[in-house]
Amino acid sequence: MPTAIATEAAPAPRAKDYKSGIKPVWCPGCGHFGALSAVTKALAYLQLRREEVAMISGIGCSSRLPAYIDSYGFHGVHGRALAVASGLKAARPDLTVLVAGGDGDGFSIGGNHFLHACRRNMDMTYIVMDNEVYGMTKGQASPTTAPEWDRSKLTPYGTGVPSFRPTEIALAAGASFIARGFSGDPSGLTKLLVEAIEHRGFSFVHVLSPCPTFRPEQKEWKQKVHPCRMDTTSNAAEAARLIQGDDGRATGLLYVEDLPVWQPRNEGQADMAKIEAEFRV
Amino acid sequence: MNDNAKIIETVPEFLAHAVALEDESAERYEMLADAMEVHHNDEVAELFRKLMQYSEDHAQEVQTLASDMTLPNIAPWDYNWNCPGSPENCDCFNDALDYQMTPYQALNLAIHNETRGRDFYAWVSRESPDPEVRRLAGEMASEEQEHVDLLQAMIANTDLSREAPLEDLDPPNTPDG
Repeated sequence: MPTAIATEAAPAPRAKDYKSGIKPVWCPGCGHFGALSAVTKALAYLQLRREEVAMISGIGCSSRLPAYIDSYGFHGVHGRALAVASGLKAARPDLTVLVAGGDGDGFSIGGNHFLHACRRNMDMTYIVMDNEVYGMTKGQASPTTAPEWDRSKLTPYGTGVPSFRPTEIALAAGASFIARGFSGDPSGLTKLLVEAIEHRGFSFVHVLSPCPTFRPEQKEWKQKVHPCRMDTTSNAAEAARLIQGDDGRATGLLYVEDLPVWQPRNEGQADMAKIEAEFRV
Repeated sequence: MNDNAKIIETVPEFLAHAVALEDESAERYEMLADAMEVHHNDEVAELFRKLMQYSEDHAQEVQTLASDMTLPNIAPWDYNWNCPGSPENCDCFNDALDYQMTPYQALNLAIHNETRGRDFYAWVSRESPDPEVRRLAGEMASEEQEHVDLLQAMIANTDLSREAPLEDLDPPNTPDG
């Protein structure tokens, strides 16, 4: 169990207090270090106690995040982070539920869960660290990889398939909070994460997070990312125009709307004796 | 320096910046040391660990200076830096960052960071309207310059190879077929 902090007697937690002490196995220069830093800063800013937070993930480099955060955590099954997180939020609505993963885990294997998590609008934050590659399995094309990327032996002529556009899909599926950040700007990303966690409903934060090992050219993202040229909108039609017209490198809060939040009523639960009687072998 | 950076006007505001700068510097060096250790680059890991210690010591000095005052609680995105993240922590996609990084490359990265830190303090010491802020910032700029000099001396006085590391015959980034 994570240690309680931020009690009246204890000093306010700092970002480093949320680190577990487990050394990340990420490659030096990996963008995910910036995302980790932003998550801890956001938790410190919000003064959340460690035992009030649960970090859920699937499989992949970025999905190792729960091990590096000193809160409740669950490193789940590939693509199923949102399913596990939804179950947790349904049972424990008092917890701040954060979900972390990558583009392969979230948009390919977990693509279906992504759609329905958006439309269900449960109160949780989904952080996708997108490096447009499957890094943990040594560099295959992912759903967000550009169709002409031909550096993997599996796709020597590129995938030839248009890239998955996460923010557009999230909007179409009914997400109520859509933002894009850059792990090379941990301070800006922290602000987005704070807003996402404070948002009531499903908040999707698309994080551009370079992979220096399999996509070294992504170091150029530092020059390519730019603030979104329009103000945040709560109008879905305006957001659609904004998101469809952007180059995929615009950062900021793109869309936020106050939509009904789905949360099951935990009333009338059966007691354990009754359940056990039903399942007697 | 960032044209949009606001001038730091009070001692507590300045010390809050200094604490954050040194804390983030220590955090960054620790991350780098951990990453190098995980990738069995022990020599560079040890070097980053030493740099982390310098930053922690410096952070402790600043905290001692601030012990009798209440520092403002500044949101991470509201600091008056001139780059994403704090000055000694901003070059996260440096080309030299690699599991095979050499001590020579690591020292150069550290010089880059410390120079940014020095420039930040020097800017405050020039621009702040408060004489005490200017004095403190000037002192810290001098200390950062000492760090830069020390690192440059380490490069000059030790027999560090400036050549690229030997080819890794079993690299971790061989794409699977």
